[in-house]
Amino acid sequence: MTTHKKLDRSGALSWVDHNRIYLIFVVALLVMTAFAPKFFNVFNLTTISKTAAMNACVAIGFTIVMICGHLDLSIGTVITLAGVVGLGLKKYVGYEISVPLALCSGALVGLVNGLLVTKVKISSFIVTLGTMTILQGLIYQITGGNSIALSTPDAFSVADFLGHRLIPLVTPRVLITLVLVLLFQFLLSSTRWGRNFYMVGGNKSTAWLGGIEADRQIVVAFVLSGLLAATGGVFFAMESSAATRNMGDNSLMYVLSATIIGGTAMSGGKGGVFRSFVAILALEIIYDGIILFGLGNEVKIFLAGFILAVVVLYEAYASYRHDRVVGQRSELLAELSAAGRGNRSTDAASSRG
Amino acid sequence: MKKAASIVAFVAMAGICACGAFGQALSAQQKANLEASLKVDTSVLKSADNQSLIVLSSQKKVIPARPADPDALAETDPLHWYDMEYAGWNAKKVNIPQSPADGAIGKKIILIVHGDHPWTTACTLGAMKVAQACSIKLKVLSPNWDLAVQNQMIDQAINEKPDAICLIPLDAKAAVQQARKINDAGIPLFLFNTLTQADAMNYCVAWTGPDDFGQQRKLARVWADEMQKRNPGAKELDVAYVQHAPGGSPYFARCWGPMSELSGYAKTVKTVAKEAPGFDADKATQVVSDWLTRFGPGLKGIFAADDSAQAIGIFEAFKKAGRTDIVVCAAGNSKQGMDLVKEGKLFAITYQTAEGDGALTIKTAADWFNGKAIEPVRYLPQKIITKANVDSFYPPQW
Repeated sequence: MTTHKKLDRSGALSWVDHNRIYLIFVVALLVMTAFAPKFFNVFNLTTISKTAAMNACVAIGFTIVMICGHLDLSIGTVITLAGVVGLGLKKYVGYEISVPLALCSGALVGLVNGLLVTKVKISSFIVTLGTMTILQGLIYQITGGNSIALSTPDAFSVADFLGHRLIPLVTPRVLITLVLVLLFQFLLSSTRWGRNFYMVGGNKSTAWLGGIEADRQIVVAFVLSGLLAATGGVFFAMESSAATRNMGDNSLMYVLSATIIGGTAMSGGKGGVFRSFVAILALEIIYDGIILFGLGNEVKIFLAGFILAVVVLYEAYASYRHDRVVGQRSELLAELSAAGRGNRSTDAASSRG
Repeated sequence: MKKAASIVAFVAMAGICACGAFGQALSAQQKANLEASLKVDTSVLKSADNQSLIVLSSQKKVIPARPADPDALAETDPLHWYDMEYAGWNAKKVNIPQSPADGAIGKKIILIVHGDHPWTTACTLGAMKVAQACSIKLKVLSPNWDLAVQNQMIDQAINEKPDAICLIPLDAKAAVQQARKINDAGIPLFLFNTLTQADAMNYCVAWTGPDDFGQQRKLARVWADEMQKRNPGAKELDVAYVQHAPGGSPYFARCWGPMSELSGYAKTVKTVAKEAPGFDADKATQVVSDWLTRFGPGLKGIFAADDSAQAIGIFEAFKKAGRTDIVVCAAGNSKQGMDLVKEGKLFAITYQTAEGDGALTIKTAADWFNGKAIEPVRYLPQKIITKANVDSFYPPQW
């Protein structure tokens, strides 16, 4: 009986652990719907989905890199670079050419990151930190510290198109993000190519024994990270009709937090694109509610930090628990302990007798 | 049948009369609200430095003719900055809502600032003082310097359908799309503090704030005069600029404003360096120390975009290098800046009332609700603070 209870408890904990991001999302949605003024209406929910779109797009690639056991700190500057390239070149070649060029610039940065990590064997933290700094300087040189804005009717019509509601909650920019999230979730969970990322992140030696070219997989992950960060950045800039020198600066910490909260392990081998997407939405719901309550930015920072701290602490505890029971069979242990108690009571009875 | 028709006609007439009476009552209520709103006297309000909270500039801004292509002119030509300096004056207003002219009392305004900073706190305080005096419901939002968050806040503000939105755009150029969005929603927009790209002005009722170019030009003249006084007969006076954060109008106004002014006023002044180290005293120290090494005793003046952290950093570098001869001027009037002026380190700063800035935008919105004519641009007064008059500006606002 006790064994069953323990197993039930462990199963429930495991279920909560596995679905924690969905629970956070639902709780955040319910709390804000119940208490935040003017929260639950189509306009506001669309605002949330629009705001989440850029970082959700960026989080796809970032999650893949983290699943491989690496970090990409350059995503913020890639967002800015893509915005600057996409809008800066528009007046010369039009969006038809400037947008693909912006995406290529992101992919190129990812390629450089990936090659340095795999071929030169430098830590991804150091490589992407360096890329980030170099890109910041490059962007400053290109723009002279200025923003790039387009005030032409055609630029405004593109901006209006990207921001208009197709169906409730979904604008074209949100739709692009949704398609990408679902596509990469499918690829990662249902194709060998996608599952190889988990294999590489989980155990590189096993991946090698399984015939996976780990280095190539890591390079692809970085290229995807750059490409998707650029996608998020360029479409955001197009909808704003402006690319500012620091438009991606706040994305790194935000995406990193969301990816961890979403359950992607920093050590690699675990996580999911859809989970990161839900985490971005959950954070956005919380931030949106905070603004609607009229609370200050400090509350937002505090709550984001608090949620992240709770998740990290929980991860640490889960890891400790896992290490303790690894290789053990809980039901067998429970039976042995019950048997041990039985023997002790028999011994006690015979000694009394 | 006739009886039924008579009853229907009677009911209809009664309904029309009732509606008319109700409409008249509402109109009377609005009229009373307007009368009460017009009686509110905001001239008695004071800012923390004991100055009048709301004072409009008495100087008439002279608007020159726009050059055919300002960008084609050199950056040291004052007219190169025409579209930024005179933004709003020649605006072609689009879809601006009509004033309800039913009084400011009871109206709801959402004020979106640019980010958290002591200046912003003082600015918000000024806005609150006027809102309280006018019985306006004020909600303040801060995106903490994040454009995506500011865009989100604009969407949320539109969703709340306030009577007006007051906005400090985070970026002069990104402001155009933000202003368009608010304008499309039919909500009256009042831009303030930072100048925007000229196109954004088409979509707002009015812009209020400091004439940043104007006051930096004024400060530049005082600065140049002092440098010439301290270095009589000098054929060249090397100067450097510690710039504001790139993106917003102060970045341009507080560097190219004085630079372009002095290209005509003091030709001996030569710019040798300019850099934007942000608002970190340590970084400013590093930048200025580097300049002191590179330019040596030839460096005669530094113009800083910020009189607090940047100014502290500058004087730290001077202390390390043992220099006391460099004339430093800075924009703003923070406590640190005023203390440095009082100590005789900073030669001059501009009076830029943070509380007045926030107050003026709410006052302008209130005037609009009260049906008053609103100029497209309303400037705060320009004053220069030196050791001679600094005491009259204490205690500082931030």
